[in-house]
Amino acid sequence: MTEFLQQLINGLSLGAIYALIALGYTMVYGVLRFINFAHSDVFMVGAFVGYYSGPKVLQMFPNWPIVAGLCVLALAMAVCAALGIIIERLAYRPLRDRSKLTVLITAIGVSLFLEYAGQRLFGADPKSFKLLPSQNIPLFGGLVFSSNQLIVFVLTVVLLIGLRFIVFNTKIGTAMRAVSFNHHAAALMGINIDVVISFTFGLGSALAAAGGILYAQNYPSIDPLMGVLPGLKAFVAAVLGGIGNIPGAALGGLTIGIIETFVSGTRWSTYRDAIAFAILILILLFKPSGLLGTSQTEKV
Amino acid sequence: MKERWNFWTSRALLILAVAGLLTGCNKPQSPDPSAGGAGGAGVATDNVIKVGEYASLTGTEATFGQSSHNGTALAIDEINAAGGVLGKQIKLLYEDNQSKAGESAAIVLKLISRDKVAAVLGEVASGRSLEAAPICQQNKVPMISPSSTNPEVTKRGEYIFRICFLDSFQGAVLARFAKETLKATRVAILTDVRQPYSVGLAEFFRQRFVQDGGAVVAEQKYSGGDKDFNAVLTATKAADPQAIFVPGYYTEAGLIARQARQLGINVPLFGGDGWESPKLIEIGGAAVEGTYYSTHYSPEDQSPVVQNFVKKYQERYKETPDAMAALGYDSAMVLADAIKRAGSTEGPKIRDALAATKDFHGVTGRTMIDAERNASKPAVMVTIKDGKFKYVETLSL
Amino acid sequence: MTLPAPNSSDPLLDVARCTMRFGGLTAVSDLNLQVGANDLIGLIGPNGAGKTTVFNIITGVYQPTEGAISFGHQSIIGLRPNIIATKGIARTFQNIRLFPSMTVYDNVRAAFHLHVASGLSHALWRGRSFHAEEKSVEEQVMEMLDLFNLGRFRNAMAKSLPYGSQRRLEIVRALATRPKLLLLDEPAAGMNPTEKVELMKLIQFIKDKYRISVLLVEHDMQVVMGICERITVLDYGIKIAEGTPEQVRSDRKVIEAYLGEDHREAKPSAKQ
Repeated sequence: MTEFLQQLINGLSLGAIYALIALGYTMVYGVLRFINFAHSDVFMVGAFVGYYSGPKVLQMFPNWPIVAGLCVLALAMAVCAALGIIIERLAYRPLRDRSKLTVLITAIGVSLFLEYAGQRLFGADPKSFKLLPSQNIPLFGGLVFSSNQLIVFVLTVVLLIGLRFIVFNTKIGTAMRAVSFNHHAAALMGINIDVVISFTFGLGSALAAAGGILYAQNYPSIDPLMGVLPGLKAFVAAVLGGIGNIPGAALGGLTIGIIETFVSGTRWSTYRDAIAFAILILILLFKPSGLLGTSQTEKV
Repeated sequence: MKERWNFWTSRALLILAVAGLLTGCNKPQSPDPSAGGAGGAGVATDNVIKVGEYASLTGTEATFGQSSHNGTALAIDEINAAGGVLGKQIKLLYEDNQSKAGESAAIVLKLISRDKVAAVLGEVASGRSLEAAPICQQNKVPMISPSSTNPEVTKRGEYIFRICFLDSFQGAVLARFAKETLKATRVAILTDVRQPYSVGLAEFFRQRFVQDGGAVVAEQKYSGGDKDFNAVLTATKAADPQAIFVPGYYTEAGLIARQARQLGINVPLFGGDGWESPKLIEIGGAAVEGTYYSTHYSPEDQSPVVQNFVKKYQERYKETPDAMAALGYDSAMVLADAIKRAGSTEGPKIRDALAATKDFHGVTGRTMIDAERNASKPAVMVTIKDGKFKYVETLSL
Repeated sequence: MTLPAPNSSDPLLDVARCTMRFGGLTAVSDLNLQVGANDLIGLIGPNGAGKTTVFNIITGVYQPTEGAISFGHQSIIGLRPNIIATKGIARTFQNIRLFPSMTVYDNVRAAFHLHVASGLSHALWRGRSFHAEEKSVEEQVMEMLDLFNLGRFRNAMAKSLPYGSQRRLEIVRALATRPKLLLLDEPAAGMNPTEKVELMKLIQFIKDKYRISVLLVEHDMQVVMGICERITVLDYGIKIAEGTPEQVRSDRKVIEAYLGEDHREAKPSAKQ
């Protein structure tokens, strides 16, 4: 029982990070109907911003590690938001009216560009990420909760609430939803599609950066290719939850994290990705639009 | 880390420049009929002996490759400063395989067929040595792996040598260490299934440990490059081991130590020579305190040959040489010794001289090449205390 | 911006000699169309006459191949749809294009976009002015919803509304952008006679209450003849008649076009 609960905690904290990344995939898909494969590399950049700024910020607040941590988080989110907006502006906007395939291939190109630019800039060898010290919080019956996992939970919940607020209670959020339903109609209501798309990229990238910082804090070895696997899993999570659906992405992320963790804990651990993906295929066979997705016929 | 990179690049450029200068300067001295004639296979035109090296200079095992390469480069410069071999200077041609699978074979093929190297040095990781070995074997170019410990490596053919101990030996020594020093009878193993080194070492450890009456209570698997070990560690914790054996590499070992401590697993962790890297302490932090690993040498060894090497290495690279550096150094020295005894740069002759290596005193101890082209030598146990590597004991079977 | 006093000889919207070609097909040819302030103009014609294309040209969805369009004395050629919307042109769609999975309130709120000053930072800090503004927006949205009998659906998903209410919601959403000119694209489509009568009253009411101009594309003669002050008739992209309902009704070309259309439509319906 203890083992089961411990694995559940492990799975939820891993899944929470997948969820943060998955949100970016799903939001961009929502407004643009394409998968931004460079998203996982924005996640990597987020971790590196934390790596380089962390020590300096910690010096500024020697007695307030939490404040320093939040500053680093905010900085990484801001830098990545800018990066996401720049990527959209330079790489995707000129191709807005081209076929989806063209944009998709461009996205893969941008992804490779960021990975190899990262290897050039940061070096290919793994770096050890140090931000906040980690402490154990023992619970009942040998169950352990680490401070890192607590940070992941708290921040993910705060960010999800923040995202919900932005999407449902601000005019830009309303505009985002409007654009995701119908570009044309939204434009004719006076909504500036370009601003909404830029904002969506910025928001998604900021969440990826938060995911990157949390991931690095939990698994403190970072390298320029660190985004590839979590990015792939988060993409799967977004599809699993119903691509374009924000609560779906969060749910999908948690689901993938939990499945992966439980499979890892058995003797089939090395097949965990295969099993996680097999479950994905099964779910999509019975529910093609994903867990929370609604089947939508697209009209132009 | 930026400094490290810049330091490294500038160093590499310097070495290249020095090598270039040396070959340039030596040109007028080339009329040496005996050496020129004996060159025969491929290196006839030059008054240098080309030696190839492939190493993981970047990527996940970058510190291995860099250390090993630094040791090799230091040895070659020393040899050349002392007049070279057979009256010729040795020229080291090296390439980076980025710690990736699938790069090494191509690199070695290029070194052999285009650059016509007389011998090949490399690699640290057994998986990558196994990629390159068949190429060397086919082309009858001797290859010396400085530190691949998987037994399969030298089974690839009579041209493939190593100058470090074997995983069969290392696994047995670690089993003895677990039983006698750690007093553990219940051990869990976490294996990196992507690395033949890790799989092999785990198996040799298990055989010996069980044979000596110990029990392996959990065998968990992971894949190199994984970051999240919470799940496998939670399952391991449930089996309640007295020690956990992690026969993988330092990046994962550091992460595993960290996550194990976070999950409240406080039993000792120990591993093999794959842990040997300052990155282990950087990544693992306080979590690797009190962990152990076996390796090939310790800079704390007071013998003159070791201290001389440590001093020269520190002068040049401003850091203490690790085992990979020591083995890299010895691999070049053993090769130079063999070429000298062979009196030739032809592959078969170097091979025969290498196979006849007896009683070579290197920084990693007395090295003797056996009939299987392996070296047997004692192992050193190291622990981490106050963020530093500390010598524990020297073990042999 | 101070506009000159409304004057029928000084049109709000002036479409001058506009032509729209798609490859070899000419959808609209050499069209002149003026809408004055507070006018209610009908644009009619058989299927495929180019009526919706005219709307798409005016709202910036298509750029006309030739010709000029000015709105309030400014050319709007080359402007993007959202900019044209900010200038004061709003529209509804022939096939309803609400934001289906957003609430009725949010559908209208999205169109209020234009008139709300506070941006994201504003919203995140939730300052006093943000609250005040949100409140005023909410009041205005609710006032409009109530006015059009949609208040009770406030939190319902747009897609769950009955058809007639969806049409009405689309009109409310268009009005929420505070247009000077409202383009209605076949608002009566799919309505029963009672609903049509209500729609006619509604259009009249909007025009009078908000003092805006309306350009109405409609298939239904009863509706168009009932409320429009002037009517323009298109056939194959060419304006064939213009005038009061009485003038148009008796125009020979118009009768021919519609009789011809009856023939055209008779065939497929006979098959069914």
